[in-house]
Formats: sequence, structure tokens, C-alpha cells
Amino acid sequence: MNLDSARQAFMAEVAELLQSMEDALLTLEEDPEDPESLNEVFRAMHTIKGTGGVFGYNSVVDFTHQVETLMDQVRSGLIPLTGPLIATLFECRDHTARLVDAIGDETGSDEPPLDPELRAAGEALLARLGQPPASDAPAGSEGVADPKFLPVASDLWMITLKFHRDSFRDGIDPLSFLRYLGSLGDLVHVATLLDAEPTADDAFDPESCYLCFGIAFRSEADKPTIAGVFEFADQDCEIRILEPDTAQAKYLDLLAAVPDEQVGWLGDLLVRIGALTSGELAHALRTQGSVLEPDPDAAPAKGKRRLGEILVEQGSIKPAVVEQAVKTQEAVRARRQEETQHIRVDAQRLGHLIDLVGELVTSSAAIRVMVQRAGIEDMSDVVDGVDYLVSEIRDNALQLRMVPIGDSLSRFRRVVRDASQELGKEIELVITGGETELDKTVVEKMTDPLTHLIRNSIDHGIETPEVRLGQGKRAGGTVHINAYHDSGHIVIEIADDGAGLDVARIRAKAEAKGLVKPEEVLTQEETLRLIFAPGLSTKEQATNLSGRGVGMDVVRRNIEALRGTVELESQLGVGTKVTIVLPLTLAIIDGFLVGAGPDQYVIPLAQVAECVEMSEAEAVKRHGERYINLRGEVLPFIRLIDLFESAGRDRAGQRESLVVVRFGHHKVGLVVDTLLGELQTVIKPLGKLFERLRGVAGATILGTGDIALILDVAELAAIAEGGRDIADKRRAHA
Amino acid sequence: MGELVLSNRSTASSHAESDGEVTQYLTFSVAEERLAMSIDAVKEIIETPVVTRVPMTPDYIRGVINLRGNVVPVIDLGARLGRGPITLTKRSCVVLVEVRVGQDGHVLGMLVDEVRNILEIPFEDIKPPPEFGSEIRTDFIEAMGRVDDVFVIILSVDHVLSMQELAALRKLSQEAAPSGTDVEP
Repeated sequence: MNLDSARQAFMAEVAELLQSMEDALLTLEEDPEDPESLNEVFRAMHTIKGTGGVFGYNSVVDFTHQVETLMDQVRSGLIPLTGPLIATLFECRDHTARLVDAIGDETGSDEPPLDPELRAAGEALLARLGQPPASDAPAGSEGVADPKFLPVASDLWMITLKFHRDSFRDGIDPLSFLRYLGSLGDLVHVATLLDAEPTADDAFDPESCYLCFGIAFRSEADKPTIAGVFEFADQDCEIRILEPDTAQAKYLDLLAAVPDEQVGWLGDLLVRIGALTSGELAHALRTQGSVLEPDPDAAPAKGKRRLGEILVEQGSIKPAVVEQAVKTQEAVRARRQEETQHIRVDAQRLGHLIDLVGELVTSSAAIRVMVQRAGIEDMSDVVDGVDYLVSEIRDNALQLRMVPIGDSLSRFRRVVRDASQELGKEIELVITGGETELDKTVVEKMTDPLTHLIRNSIDHGIETPEVRLGQGKRAGGTVHINAYHDSGHIVIEIADDGAGLDVARIRAKAEAKGLVKPEEVLTQEETLRLIFAPGLSTKEQATNLSGRGVGMDVVRRNIEALRGTVELESQLGVGTKVTIVLPLTLAIIDGFLVGAGPDQYVIPLAQVAECVEMSEAEAVKRHGERYINLRGEVLPFIRLIDLFESAGRDRAGQRESLVVVRFGHHKVGLVVDTLLGELQTVIKPLGKLFERLRGVAGATILGTGDIALILDVAELAAIAEGGRDIADKRRAHA
Repeated sequence: MGELVLSNRSTASSHAESDGEVTQYLTFSVAEERLAMSIDAVKEIIETPVVTRVPMTPDYIRGVINLRGNVVPVIDLGARLGRGPITLTKRSCVVLVEVRVGQDGHVLGMLVDEVRNILEIPFEDIKPPPEFGSEIRTDFIEAMGRVDDVFVIILSVDHVLSMQELAALRKLSQEAAPSGTDVEP
């Protein structure tokens, strides 16, 4: 086994577990009673401990074990979950992440020695967790039995636990399960048995577990809940749970409630309604497989009876329940299939697939060109078919890499929580549209800019409760993240109901920094955009979070590097809204090919609104004219050959076309010579040499093998605008 | 005519250290001047393919080419050395060179008038560059190599194809560019 890849899997698993722990803690802050979240925290710590143990990462095991023990006590109601305790648990979560990171940095297979600082931090945390003195904790399983309630009543659950030899080595503590079980009801009687029959060559090993428990248990809980107690011991323990008579009636009701026509696997069904645990089923299936042909579902009625018989014999279930279950199997089958429809795939493999699809797109374009050149009529139908399939494959392949943005947005709950505590503000984060999907590579690259924008909202935007109340607002502020799809793009809005941006101050600051001249007249929108200029921050006092003036220009650059745009709306005293528009994917897009002079360019199809002919009537040909009358609408336009200084064409008398493109709320016309139609465009990066080139988003290889550049419309408009300003000024001076 | 792939790159980069050792140089001409370049950086030489112009870039960036499905930028060595853009002829070639920036290698094409041959210049025939008197920027010249009693200029790949400088200069000239672009004559 490749240890490195196993370790990577461990790292990935830990990251996921810590994320869910964080989510659970955030939920617990709102509702400290939420049992699911309590379990989640416990499970995260427990699983990390267990897996860490497999690798021998003792630092991780030691730390998480302590936290797990604490959570166990919290879960059993021994320790109240207070606000400070949750805060400490947050820190424990972070500390675990650091411990695991420290391991991740090492390449050797041995655990690195623990950094003393890290160790001290961990010990301090554990001390703050304030483990209660031993006398406070219940003594565990023994001595709980009360002589007045001997296990004779029929309302008792009978539970037998037989731990495997390796239980201790796997980090399982049998007593913790009994303690937790005790929180669900009365441990009427616990019989502790030794399962030790050491053979001659298998001497007693003090590290092995030889324990068996027989438990009489009184509880209102259902079977899955009780079985759930032992969920973590599944692999290390034989568990048998036999329900009291009172529970039988409930199962029958449950089974009857399932529609008859939905029939599935018997065992799964019983497990699902809680009459059977999966361990019991597995055991029964093994028994069945060893006696009869393993064919439980080919002949449903017969197979089920056999499994049912075994289950009854095994003592896992009573006959009446099995009978009822016969009618309700298909529902389980359907659900079962649903559950197995997810596959985890290495992101690199997906990337490779998408690269190959890109090559396929290019190759099929090349075939089309050749077929057209050769003029083979019969072939063009086939080529159309192939084209259609290729575009379907492309869409599906890209879809594979689409992830809901919500997963990455939820981490901002933590950012908001920490920051608002630090600043003494009350801030609520509302996330809508989390199910909106976009390319995973884009999601990853958006984390930093989004974090920055959200911190800005918290820090500069939302005021302190006193200030807010003074202005007649609610004491608590809201940061709202909203995501949705819009014409081949994803839009992410970050809005706050805070102080808003002070246009006058931005202006003053920009003048002080020499970004604008005092005599220049700017619209509100233009002034707000100055925020994105390098070195401009309006907050007088730089805080820990933001305000060093190196933020927004970096945010803008990051977003533009993804071929996205960012816009800002703000009203003083009411709030600020930042709108980010991003392409859905970085790999392949639908493009629209145009010719300008000797060159060909691709415009992203999603941005093309319409194409019209540049007739004499519409274009005003006066010198310096740059607007066109498009059905009464004033539309600025850019003549590509002028902007690009294309050579070798006499423009007079040429017919030109106007491609109307939109970006954000803006529209602009691109004047081109020829319209060459739609094509699938595999985006090839232009590389480091052109990283500062504006107006061109990348390149693509056409079917002919030629290269066409992909235009960045928003930047082109900005360049043309800048050029005009300079030209205008020059004219004004002249 | 196919492409000439140079497989012989065995002479290591330690060429300047021990005397008697021989380093191989690719010689080519630009604006009728014979130039050389250590063959270590050269990956491949191809006939000039269709070069797609990239707008709003200075003249030393000739454009981009399709190299087996990859988009590779091409530098006009004539313009880069201050001799004016190269006029394409049957003999003009693109020399593909790998330039390292930090950890990453970037492939650049270098358009030249003509590729001449591969020379071995013994260490003792390699002289330091002249301090003045050359029409080429002095930092572009790594050394002078004597070949048949004639000196050829050995170019410094790091300086001539400095990614940082190429990308930054592009920006400078682009800032100046828009002023003239949108005014109709």
C-alpha cells in the first residue's frame, strides 16, 4: 500500500471532518441542545483519533482523545455546553488542524517530533476544557444496576456486546459507550463477562480486549438510536440488540405505513425501520450464504423467508416483524440505489479528461474544415452528428467538475463569527443560492477574494451595535451572500446593511493620493470604482482584519484573472453591495468567431447579444464619432481594426458588421469585418509573457490549425474608453 | 523539409569552468549579423509557421504560433535587438527556447532570418564582450566567440529573453499605445 496516498486520504478526510465539526459547532452556538451537532463534533474527534491511531500520529490521537472524552460527557449531559466551552472547542478544532498540518509537512513515514509550542498550546487548551474531577463522572458501567429492577420485565432491551481483541488498539473505549447508553435510559443491569479463552499459543495480552457485556436496558429510544450508540464500535464489536415487546408493535405500524408496491431487500428494510442493525443483518447473511445458495432476492418470497428465519433463529428479530417487512422492500431498494450513485474521483483525473475533451473539440473542428474543403456532401451529416456528440460530451465533462458554491461559502460563517466577536459587532451571515454550481477550479480561486470582501463588510461596513441603534437600525447587522446563474455566468453578490461607502471621502483620499485631479468630474459610480485602485483605503485606522489599502485592487485582479468582473454599489448609511460576475468554467466555452482585418477573434457567445449590419444610416461617420443609434438606443462602439491597429486593409467601401456584446449591465458594439459563426472554443492560456496583456482573455486553436485570440470585452471597452479620454484631452488642449 | 530536432545537448552547462572543454553553439543570422547562442537552451528549430499577431503588444512580440496544440509566443529577434522587425523569407526560422522563471519552464519562439549551423567553440576562443562599440545592448551579449578568426556575438539567453523584461516592456509600450488607437485619421 502506498503510504503517501493513504496519508493524503487521511489529510483530506481530516479536513472534511474538521469542516463538519466547525459547521456543527456553529449550529451549537445557536442551539446548544442539537443532538445531531453534538454527535457530529464527537464523531469528528473520534474518527480523527481512530484514523490518526492507524498512522501512529500520537500527538493527534492524544489531543483528540481528550476532546472526544469531553464531548462524550457533554453528550451524556454531564457537562453543560456553554458559550465559552464552544469557543474553546472551536480552538480545539483549529489546534487539531494545526497538528495535522504539522504532520502533513513531513515527508517521512515517521511522525515528526511535536513542535514544543504546539504542544504547549494543546496542553493549555486541554486545561481550559476543564475536565471535571473524576468524582463527578459516573463510575461507568458497573454499579449502576438497581436491585429493585431486575431484568425480568418485558419492556427491557437486551443488548449484548462482544468486543474484538483489537478494540483497545483501535482506540475504542468500551466504557464510553456504556456511559453514553446510560444517557438514553436506564442501565437496569450490566453483566460483565470475560470472553477470554486464551489458547495455549495465544497467551493473555494486556493490550487486547476480552470484554463482553450483557445489558438490560430500559429506554424510550428506538433501535437505530440505541444501535447508534455503538456506531463507532461497529468494526470492533459484535452487537446484538433485541427489542422489548413494546417496540414490536411500533415496527409493525411503521412497516404497514410503507406503500405495498414498494418492495426491496428484506434485511435492508428491517435495518432501515430500525428493527435490525446492520451488524445483525451481516451476520445473518453470512449464515445464509454458508448454508444455502446466496440468492436472497432472485426469488423474493422464498429468499426472504429464509433470511427471515435465520434472523429469528439468530435472535435478532421477532417473526411478526419479518412478515410485515415482506411488503415493503422496493422502497428500500430505490433508496439504496440512490445512495450508491456517488463516486469520488481524483480532481486531476477530471482535469485530464477535460483536457482530452478539449483536444477532441479541436480535432473535430479540424475534420469539419477538411470536409468542407473537400466538398463531400455525404460527410457533412456525419460531421454534424459528431459535432453534436462532441458538444454534449464537452458539456457533460465540464459538468463533472461543477460543485455547488455553498460548500465553500459556508466556511465564511466561521470568518464572520470570529471577526464579529473580535470587533464586538453582531453580524448575521445569510447565504442564499448556495446550490448554484460552478467549476471547482473557479471556486478555489475565489476563496481569497471572497474572504477579503466579506471581511471588508464586517470591518468597514457593519457598524457597532451602539452606532447602529443610534441610527435607528437593528443592533445586529447582516451580510448577505447570494449566488445565481445569469447567461452563462455566475453572479455572486455580497451585500451588507452597514455604513455604506462615503463617496466624498473616497474622492478626497483619491485626490490626496493623486489618483484623480481636483478638477475632474466623476459620477458616483466612477468614484466608487476608485476603491479598486491600488493603495486606496478609506478606513483611517487600519485594523487587524482589513484596511491596509492593499485589498480591493488585489480582489479586482484576482477576479479579472478569472475573466470575471466586479462592480460596486453603495449608499451612505444604507449599505454596500459588491457584485461579482464570473464565467462558469475556465476550460471550454461557446465562442463566436469574427474577422477583423487579416485576423480572427473569438467573442464568448454568452456575451453576444445580437449581430447587426453596420449600415450607412446607423453609423454616424463624423470624425471622432463613437456612438451608434441602435433602434433608438445609444450604443458605444469599438472598431476592432482601429483599436488593434490592424494593417493591410482598405476600409473604404467594405461592409462591416456590428456585434453587440454585453458585460454586467453594460453593452457595447464591436465593429468587425466578417461574422464567421459559432464554434466550440477550447481556451488555451497565453502564458506568462502575456499575463499583463489586457483585452485578450486567451487563445484558441481553430479547425484550420490557426490561432484565434479570445477577446475580453469588458477590458476592451475600458481600454477604448481610456484611449478616448486621452484623445479627448489632447483635442481639448489643441 | 521537416523540422530539425536537436537531440545533442550533452555538453553540460559547466562550459565556462574548465579550459579545453568545448561548448556547442547554435549560430544564426539577424539583419545580416552572425549571432550565436548556447545550445543548452534550444529545444527545437522549426520553419516559420503562421504567426498570429497579438494586438496591443510592442513590435518585438511577433505573435503566437500553434505548436502541436500549444500556444507559444514568438519573439522577433530583429526587433528585440533593435534592428527592426524581420521580413519573412523562405529561410526564416523559429528557434524554440526554454526559458526558466523560478521553477517553471516557459517555451518561447525566437524568429531569426536564418539558422546557420552548430559550432563547437573551444573555451580559449571565447572572449569577454566589448565594453562599447557594439550596436547590440551590452547586457544582451554574453561573450564573443572566435570562429575562423571572425568574432560572432554569443547572446545571453537570460537577458535577451528575460521573461520579466519582455512582459514588463510590453506593458510600458501598451500604456502609450491607446493614445493613438481610437482617433480616426
